[in-house]
Amino acid sequence: MTQPTSADVVIVGTGVVGVVVAEQLLDAGHSVLMLEAGPRVSRAEIVENYRNLPLGLKGSASSSYPPKPWAPHPMPGDDYLQLEGPDAYAQTYIRYAGGSTWHWAGTSWRLTPEDMRLNSLYGVGRDWVFDYDTLDPYYNMAEQKLGICGPSDPALQWPPRPRSAPYPMPPLPFSPGEEKFTRVMKEALGYTNLPVSQARNSGMPFDDRPACCGNNNCVPVCPIGAKYDAATALNRLEAKGAVILSNAVAHRIETGDGNRIEAVHYLDPERQEHRVTGKHFVIACNAIETPKLLLMSADSRNPGGIANSSDQVGRNMMDHPQLGLTLTLDEPYWLGQGPVVNSGIMETSQGDFRADHAGAYFRMNNFARNRYETFNALATGKVGRALDEEIRRRVACTVSIVAAHEILPDANNRLTLSAKKDWLGLPKPHVYYDVGDYTRRSAETYSMPIARRIAEAMGAVEVKEPSAFAQSKHLMGSTIMGDDPATSVVDSDCRAFDHPNLFLPGGGAMPSTACGNSTITMVALAFKAAEALTDQARGA
Amino acid sequence: MQHSSPSPGVSRRKLLLGGVSLLGYFTFAGPTLAWAREFQGTPLHQRFMELSGRLINHRLDEGTGLRIAAFAAQKYAGLAGRVERIIAIADERDAQEVEQFFDAIPEEDRELAYWIIAAWYSGASSGASDAEQFTFEHALTYQTTLDIVPIPTYAFSAPNGWARAPAPLLPVPRF
Repeated sequence: MTQPTSADVVIVGTGVVGVVVAEQLLDAGHSVLMLEAGPRVSRAEIVENYRNLPLGLKGSASSSYPPKPWAPHPMPGDDYLQLEGPDAYAQTYIRYAGGSTWHWAGTSWRLTPEDMRLNSLYGVGRDWVFDYDTLDPYYNMAEQKLGICGPSDPALQWPPRPRSAPYPMPPLPFSPGEEKFTRVMKEALGYTNLPVSQARNSGMPFDDRPACCGNNNCVPVCPIGAKYDAATALNRLEAKGAVILSNAVAHRIETGDGNRIEAVHYLDPERQEHRVTGKHFVIACNAIETPKLLLMSADSRNPGGIANSSDQVGRNMMDHPQLGLTLTLDEPYWLGQGPVVNSGIMETSQGDFRADHAGAYFRMNNFARNRYETFNALATGKVGRALDEEIRRRVACTVSIVAAHEILPDANNRLTLSAKKDWLGLPKPHVYYDVGDYTRRSAETYSMPIARRIAEAMGAVEVKEPSAFAQSKHLMGSTIMGDDPATSVVDSDCRAFDHPNLFLPGGGAMPSTACGNSTITMVALAFKAAEALTDQARGA
Repeated sequence: MQHSSPSPGVSRRKLLLGGVSLLGYFTFAGPTLAWAREFQGTPLHQRFMELSGRLINHRLDEGTGLRIAAFAAQKYAGLAGRVERIIAIADERDAQEVEQFFDAIPEEDRELAYWIIAAWYSGASSGASDAEQFTFEHALTYQTTLDIVPIPTYAFSAPNGWARAPAPLLPVPRF
């Protein structure tokens, strides 16, 4: 069958951002063609992949998603990401139809108004070009689209301000361990452990997906589709007329008169080149693959790469640098019941201290601990009943406490094209990364002291602290938003300053990270961009 | 002996697992599989299961044992003789539980004995990322906590039904 080669709007990437933009455009009557570098697979295949991983790999978010040769993504121990600098930007994402929401936790903290005004309020970082109230209706749309559950009690909502619309579903209940953690945090430290607003069906079906039943496998895959992932929307998009081409690796964006985008070129698994044209283009591959594609597409009109007259494409790489502590407690907490992340302490992310150092968000992960503790128990050499009891004690009495930090945009934290090539001969991404003194100071003077107090309050008899920051897989900043084309890549609608028909929505546009997971904000930006694109497409 | 009775939730889960374990068996695609089929029913396979039963005080899954045995035969030279030596030690002490004879296993065979125990509990040949997986849902580690913690990807609660009363550390469920 001949593949379609043109549409009103060409979207590169079938992750949550691309999918949300596509559906808005389809609903507005525009034709949509989507390119996906990776394969399209069934949920059952991923679940079986997970179940067939050896126990030592069960904690890997990506190992259930083996990359195709033509669409590599970072895997444990590989060198797809060429890393340099004091801190390793060692991220996890997948190039599969549906994108990395396949293996996200579903955590959906909104930004606060203050998170969007770091420079005005604290003299650090960048301000957003619009305020929270501008973003609020798009947050509401994102919560409806993804099916985000959350509390109706204002005292338990984040951010702590009146909501303009209710969550579509009530919060998921806490497990006994989470109840205990919540009580201990309030009584010992005065912190409120909030129910996470999360993209998971709570007590009822939603969006033709079932209610969460506590399979405790949101990462790397929800086996029943109770958690939103963008793969759940693909059939619906096709029913609305979208054309989705998988195994189609976009490798060049073509410009024409007026520096408008004319076409996207892609390679198939046979290394054959194809060209698709459109009136408008959306690149939504994530904050690593999008700048890579823009830089790979340099031409005579755009010698530094597409959308890069500011030289900011690929700069300001951000994430939520995290420090995870493993505690051994004197009483059981029994993690592993319910979703893998179900609560968090957010108040520690806010305050005037942000003039000096980063804030941090604390959570007690809720993964079943067998995957982490079985080999530790076996290392004791115990047998029989003693071994059974050792495993059980470790699973019950060990917990992981994570401090996730904000980071400031820094132009030196930069993605460039490596001289090393992938299977198709395309350059691998090279990333220089340093979390910076602002974040390091937080760890030294703020977050780790709090984490130690949390450990003490929980009755920790042993605390293992990390030696370095890990990454949270929240890719942000590389196509940064601003109001000055000289210092930013996209405008307030995620439209590229250099190309009137090119939109780059998603985490790359975010000028600040705050501490909470980025997806909900990426989706809000997708709705805002889709609205602007729809207006533009109809000539409004 | 202190053993807890399986909760109603556990019983229901076991029924569910009965259905999925068949699927798990036929979708297992590790390199040991082809060899394991030829190994099935051999005297060494039977003696390996006998030894596993002496080393582990629980009911053991035959399919999992076949895959562990086939892998062990490749990993350990002279496996048959070593299996017989360890069984003889257990017999000598008339051991009903592993605690009654494990300390008598000589150093040269103890690593094998503990590898077998670890394989049954972890369901894998080691903790390495390239380890061979023998089983997921039958890995004994999950059985030690099955009264309170579901095996990931499975569930034993209704929607929003995980706010169960916390379980005591002891006793360990019977399995």
